[in-house]
Amino acid sequence: MRYLIEHETALEYPAAVREHHVELRLAPRENRHQTLLSCEIQTDPAAELASYRDYFGNLVHYFSVIPPHTRLVTRLRAVVETCKENPLDFLPAPAAEQRQWLKSELSREPRLNDFVLHRSDAVPAVGKLAELLPVPLPEFDEKETVQDNLLGLMAWLPRVLEYRTGATVVHGALTDALRQRGGVCQDFAHLFISVARSWGIPARYVVGYLDPGIHAAGEQLATHAWAEALVPGCGWLGFDSTNALLVNDRYIEVCVGRDSHDAAPQRGSFKGESSGNQPTVKVSVLDQTQEQ
Amino acid sequence: MYQAGLPEQKRNPYHEFYADDFSPREHYRLLWDHIRAIGNNGLEAKAHESQLALQAEGVTFTVYGESEEGIERIWPFDLIPRIITAREWAKIEAGLKQRVQALNLFLADLYGDQRIIRDGVIPPELIYQGRDFRREIVGIVPPRGIYTHISGIDIIRDEQGEFLILEDNLRTPSGVSYMIENRVVERRIMPEFFNKYRVRRVEHYPSLLLDALRSLSPRGKDQAEVVVLTPGIYNSAYFEHTFLAKEMGVELAEGRDMVTVNDIVYLKTTTGLQRVDVIYRRIDDDFLDPLVFRSDSSLGIAGVINAWRAGNVAIVNAPGSGIADDKAVYPYVPEIIRYYLGQQPILNNVPTYQMTNAQDREYVFDNMERMVIKAVSESGGYGMLMGPSSTPALRREFVDRVLENPRNYIAQPVVYLSRHVCYMDGELEARHLDLRPFVIYGEGIEVVPGGLTRVALRKGSLVVNSSQGGGSKDTWVLAE
Repeated sequence: MRYLIEHETALEYPAAVREHHVELRLAPRENRHQTLLSCEIQTDPAAELASYRDYFGNLVHYFSVIPPHTRLVTRLRAVVETCKENPLDFLPAPAAEQRQWLKSELSREPRLNDFVLHRSDAVPAVGKLAELLPVPLPEFDEKETVQDNLLGLMAWLPRVLEYRTGATVVHGALTDALRQRGGVCQDFAHLFISVARSWGIPARYVVGYLDPGIHAAGEQLATHAWAEALVPGCGWLGFDSTNALLVNDRYIEVCVGRDSHDAAPQRGSFKGESSGNQPTVKVSVLDQTQEQ
Repeated sequence: MYQAGLPEQKRNPYHEFYADDFSPREHYRLLWDHIRAIGNNGLEAKAHESQLALQAEGVTFTVYGESEEGIERIWPFDLIPRIITAREWAKIEAGLKQRVQALNLFLADLYGDQRIIRDGVIPPELIYQGRDFRREIVGIVPPRGIYTHISGIDIIRDEQGEFLILEDNLRTPSGVSYMIENRVVERRIMPEFFNKYRVRRVEHYPSLLLDALRSLSPRGKDQAEVVVLTPGIYNSAYFEHTFLAKEMGVELAEGRDMVTVNDIVYLKTTTGLQRVDVIYRRIDDDFLDPLVFRSDSSLGIAGVINAWRAGNVAIVNAPGSGIADDKAVYPYVPEIIRYYLGQQPILNNVPTYQMTNAQDREYVFDNMERMVIKAVSESGGYGMLMGPSSTPALRREFVDRVLENPRNYIAQPVVYLSRHVCYMDGELEARHLDLRPFVIYGEGIEVVPGGLTRVALRKGSLVVNSSQGGGSKDTWVLAE
């Protein structure tokens, strides 16, 4: 599939701010399922952009606007080609060998430990969740493969969480979502990650875009979030528990991290009296596959 | 303050000054003779003079108690110097150089390939669950791979007189200004003492520090604008920040006095922006850059980490250094020395129990009255349980705290720090003390011959931190 993505974020301030520094994690990732054909970022006021690759492999663009200003707009325009038609197109490691497979991956790449060990308000230890749940947490079945366990987990999630637009705030605590039995894609991803990690399976948070054809009812078109887990025999496999789908070529991966904090698309710091309003975000994802 | 079963008199801490009940150690004999010659009246006059000198110099520190606002106090100074022989010092110096070198290799590895984890020497949890492992700086290689340009490493002497490492302070170690002020005052009030011994100088520390800082300038040593970055007047070490800036002849600045533009850091001056090459920061990583670390920090400089990554500014000590002095990493330092240098540690650690280890934990819980329990990311004597002087309620509270988060605590058997003669209210009395020498890693590793000797002023107390009512002494390292 080929997609044209346009993503505009406008920040308005009632009183002028200055010395404004911004980091953007907006550029779609490049991997064997995803090719970045073009990527342009513009800002208004205009600024010189620089970039680096962060710890999680995300391409970060950053810039600063030093003089006073009351509005700051960033625009991304990117064309991405995706090719993962069948996410289950791999030979799964036998259930008996999968623990060994995970162990050797973790010792080969120590950084993966983050995706097992990390806990935060967004992805708490499951011990803190159990009492908030109407049903018991799913247990890992050693006789089944990792991906079957994870598929089971994805099927279990709707029993404790219902999709509700605006139910929770950005980077909100997972317990808040569970208490009210409702959340957005962020909360679905965090819950999936918490449980996967409690099973010793590396899991990470992904921010990206979704083909407009498969959006959850009522979900505003903006960025989407899902979880990836390290599956023996496969590598990272995406689980979109909001939509109960495995991630395929209709998903565009932008940014990954331990939880939503790491993967925030925009982060800034400025000086000035005003605290700033909610940003206005406009996203369009256009399927250009036919135009090839 | 000691619990039954552990009366102080039954322990036998090493006495630095006296060899036995009747005579001083050999290197203290001249001093001893002199003290006896001038008598109590002479000492009293000198104590009074030292107070006046400290007041006149404005040598202060800030104590934070129950109230949020700190109280500024005159620096507590004891006029009887502590003497370290050349032979003793040679071992300390070699041990500290070895340790600092190994810890810097460790940091470069952690923020690089992590060979030490791959090789199974360090468990991954230790690093990945450490609060001070900074993912934000992974992949950035500071000049010459040096992270800790300034270390202040705490050393104690056990009951046999062996020097042991108690703590590595690699973030923003403080106390060096007091090391110098103690010397200035001691020279003034007791010039005759100095005639009797060949005492090595410590007063050149600011010029050593400035040299090391300038050597890090991305524009070269000859074009090196250095600033001392302070969190401001409310910081307990503000005196030291102003002292060092003044002694080095460089700007003292707060974060708001600087701005990053296109990866270059500038100081805002009355004549416009002036490029900054080296930042000697005295604020924690958390507050250094609101763009990257804590976004609510108003003490730092937004964009400074990106400027550092771009190689346009040096930050001293390097961000991320704190993981190497994490108290949970400390028990591994002897292994770290063997791993990177292939050498045996010259100075040993204090035996340490890891609370993540169930067996260690049980042992510590059964022997809490003989243990010090420390929170791994606290310093300055905060978040600590001193077993011998603790109440049962406090011990129960610490059991809960440890069980809640074992990675966050370590325990050590209480070491009865060595003692020394102090002049206390007209009497010569013994007090426990430790030593914080300062190590500068610039073009080479240099250990300033001396350090800050901290004294537990309360009788019998083992807590020397100035934030907890500790005092200090001038520390003499003798030339051959």
